[in-house]
Amino acid sequence: MSEDGLPQLDPVIHAQARLRVTVALSSLGPGDSITFPRLQQLLDMTPGNLSTHLRKLEDAGYVGITKAFEHRTPVTLVELTTRGRAAFEEYTKALHRLLEVPGDGRA
Amino acid sequence: MTPEESLALIATQSERTRREIGPNPAVLLAVWGLVWLFGFGLIYVSAPPTALMPLWVAAVLTVVGFAGAMTYSAIYGIRSGRGVRGPSRLVGAMYGWSWMIAFGGLTVVNTALIRLGLDADLVPLLWSGTSLMLTGLMYLAGGMLWQSKLQYGLGVWIIACGAASVLAGGPYNFLVLSVAGGGGFLVASLVFLVRAR
Repeated sequence: MSEDGLPQLDPVIHAQARLRVTVALSSLGPGDSITFPRLQQLLDMTPGNLSTHLRKLEDAGYVGITKAFEHRTPVTLVELTTRGRAAFEEYTKALHRLLEVPGDGRA
Repeated sequence: MTPEESLALIATQSERTRREIGPNPAVLLAVWGLVWLFGFGLIYVSAPPTALMPLWVAAVLTVVGFAGAMTYSAIYGIRSGRGVRGPSRLVGAMYGWSWMIAFGGLTVVNTALIRLGLDADLVPLLWSGTSLMLTGLMYLAGGMLWQSKLQYGLGVWIIACGAASVLAGGPYNFLVLSVAGGGGFLVASLVFLVRAR
């Protein structure tokens, strides 16, 4: 909560590209991960752009990135961590609280 | 971004992800509904007393239709899970194989019974009864796995159709399979379609 009593929006999630990444990852089943190219295709992002945003989410502990080999081909697997899932839940709750408060609702 | 814009973005992206990753059973169910409706319908109108076309032609067309629908289902199942790893992929693969294993076993049992001298009049009833029980059971299992009451309900309906088709006796069993069975799939497809809106 900020001084005026309005909930703060998590700056790691509250950016268009990172919000979309978080939403896409949160749609996976618990314990599931997705390959980097498939995630890229779901989001229509360039590899460079997606990597940048994934790194920020990883630094915050919201996203886990695993590099593995499948049939000798390297694959990068991305998943939302428990912490990331909780942060996203908190973020959507804060959005709803902001909309309940009278005012222009800008954050 | 305003909170409204954020919420709109969440809605759009989750909808898109769900549509691309999660299975959209509406098309799949419609394909099966049409195959049942026309396949079994064709057999019914080709059997006496109508005998619209040679029964073997109707049977071949139906088998081709079923093979096509099976291929479509398999490709569809493999495609929708691509890029995803983890428990849900394992469940999906086990579910897909369960169809193959169960129907493989059923084919062995039924063909053995036929070879052992099962009355020829009973052969269509044996196939429609047993394969519908199995299909219905797989839909019950799918409903449990993906917590879908609609899929579970379809399973109940298919089992009821299987029982009714055997009680109706030949050749009316094919009419039951075509209208009630195929119709059931088409209704379920419509419900999924409306829900996805």
